[in-house]
Amino acid sequence: MIARIWGTRGSYPVARADVLRYGGNTTCVEVRVGERCIVLDAGTGMRPLGAALGAEEHSPTQIDLLMTHTHWDHIIGFPFFAPIYAPQCRLEIFGLGRTQSSLRATIANALTDPLLPVSLEDLRAELHFHEIHEGLCFELGPVRVSTARANHPYRALAYRLETDEATLVFIPDTGPFHTVLFGDERIEWSGVPTASSHDELRELAEMRERIVELAQGADWLLYDSQFTDEQYVRFPHWGHSTATQAREIAEEAGVRELLLFHHDPHRSDAELDQIVAQQRAVARPGLQVSGAHEGMLLRKGAV
Amino acid sequence: MQLQFWGVRGYVPTPGAEYLRYGGNTCCVLICGAGGELIALDSGTGFCQLGDTLMQREFRQGQGELTLLITHTYWDHILGLPFPGIVHTPGNRLHIYGPDNTRGSLEMTYDGMLSPVYSPVYGLAHIGATHSFQPLSTEPFRIGGITVSALPLSRRKHSPIWAFRLEEDGRAVVYITDVRYIDDQIWNKAVGFARGARILVHSAPYTRDEHVEDYGHSRVEDAIELAVEAEVARLFLYHHAPTRTDDELDALVARYRAVLASTGRTLQLDAAREGLLLDV
Repeated sequence: MIARIWGTRGSYPVARADVLRYGGNTTCVEVRVGERCIVLDAGTGMRPLGAALGAEEHSPTQIDLLMTHTHWDHIIGFPFFAPIYAPQCRLEIFGLGRTQSSLRATIANALTDPLLPVSLEDLRAELHFHEIHEGLCFELGPVRVSTARANHPYRALAYRLETDEATLVFIPDTGPFHTVLFGDERIEWSGVPTASSHDELRELAEMRERIVELAQGADWLLYDSQFTDEQYVRFPHWGHSTATQAREIAEEAGVRELLLFHHDPHRSDAELDQIVAQQRAVARPGLQVSGAHEGMLLRKGAV
Repeated sequence: MQLQFWGVRGYVPTPGAEYLRYGGNTCCVLICGAGGELIALDSGTGFCQLGDTLMQREFRQGQGELTLLITHTYWDHILGLPFPGIVHTPGNRLHIYGPDNTRGSLEMTYDGMLSPVYSPVYGLAHIGATHSFQPLSTEPFRIGGITVSALPLSRRKHSPIWAFRLEEDGRAVVYITDVRYIDDQIWNKAVGFARGARILVHSAPYTRDEHVEDYGHSRVEDAIELAVEAEVARLFLYHHAPTRTDDELDALVARYRAVLASTGRTLQLDAAREGLLLDV
């Protein structure tokens, strides 16, 4: 398995001098196993990914796109992904099924007038949409995919990609599991935490258990660590975790390497260096901690 | 009146070292009037950076007031809006002017953009700042000492694309983006609208000899010809293509400056660069 990281940023892309090393593009990761090309989320990192795929000697003609959810920072790269304009290309797009709007309609509405001039029908690539749910297992060629629910406004998915040789787990957006339980409804935030009900706490504990299970023994865990402790106290209703919360999940799941991910748009390279160093200093022996950065290459086993 | 570029990229933000000098954030230009009026032209991701800077001022205390003039509601012109703290701080006032479209009002477009499937804000109702929406018309209006004229220059299937002219003490800035000069009538309207401006900011992602697919944009040469014909003092090429690196933009400007010099034109030509602050 080879994974290349094309976008690490959360919320919105940032083009600034102080984020050059970790990168300013939003969430997008490429996973290659043999002929199989899987893309995780469609943030702005997807534009340079599309250009790189096009430059390959044998560009992949089938691409699987696994979407955690459809917040802007996770779809903003999609219309700038060159393969969708290639006639010989086929995209299998997986995302959360919802009763309110189909996955296809969600993407189609975002791309069309008055928001953009793109119509899914006019794209030259063949697009197939697959609505999936938490707790699902399926295979993409040699890759076994499983899903769990992440604790994020309007819900999001977490993914585990596993081959006989390597496992990557992708959880770019999730809050922690001790206070706010996210569902479809908006969480009113008054600035003071309200005590969760017994049922909510039980649901959170179960969700956390599923997340730890999903990440169990992973070679790489890419995990939401957007917030500092101070930010989490002020903005728990946005549904993001801190680096400490990410590390705790990684330790419990016996992960080999934790990659802090979905960096806050304000976080400079120097600040991220510091956050990574802090987590390394306290990490359980055997757990590697790094900050995911654009251009990072993860590789294990045959390719 | 001052002008500052906060986002100059078109289509999609382009973070990265090779785009750093001109900038990779999408469309946003700030106009500051002599009386302290604040007017943002478009709100691409450049608006996020602008918002962070404004948050160091009266906007932090919920005492800020900002007008947004939106040319059209494509991603690279609006997606920056919901992120900066200034938008979520009660007491701040946002006046948003932009086009209705045949599918709904400007307000509905923004509300849809913020719906829970796309945004954790869950709709316009949860934007903390006081905000109002005003559909654009060709009737000039005043914001403090600045007179704003708007003109629907171009249109897509369902949505018009507007251009803006802002004047203070007889000095004008004209902002034209995402326009296609498909006939003489549109061209002449644009020339009249830009006539005598001190500064023309004009989208120019590609040159005529780059045979890219038409995304509904005029070319670099159109922007230059328009500026010359309208007797504009200074032209800023804007809405740079995502593939255009800093070095390529340098070369592009040098190439067209040489053309202007060889024909004896006095037009001052530059590529818009993030952070650049100008007295009009």
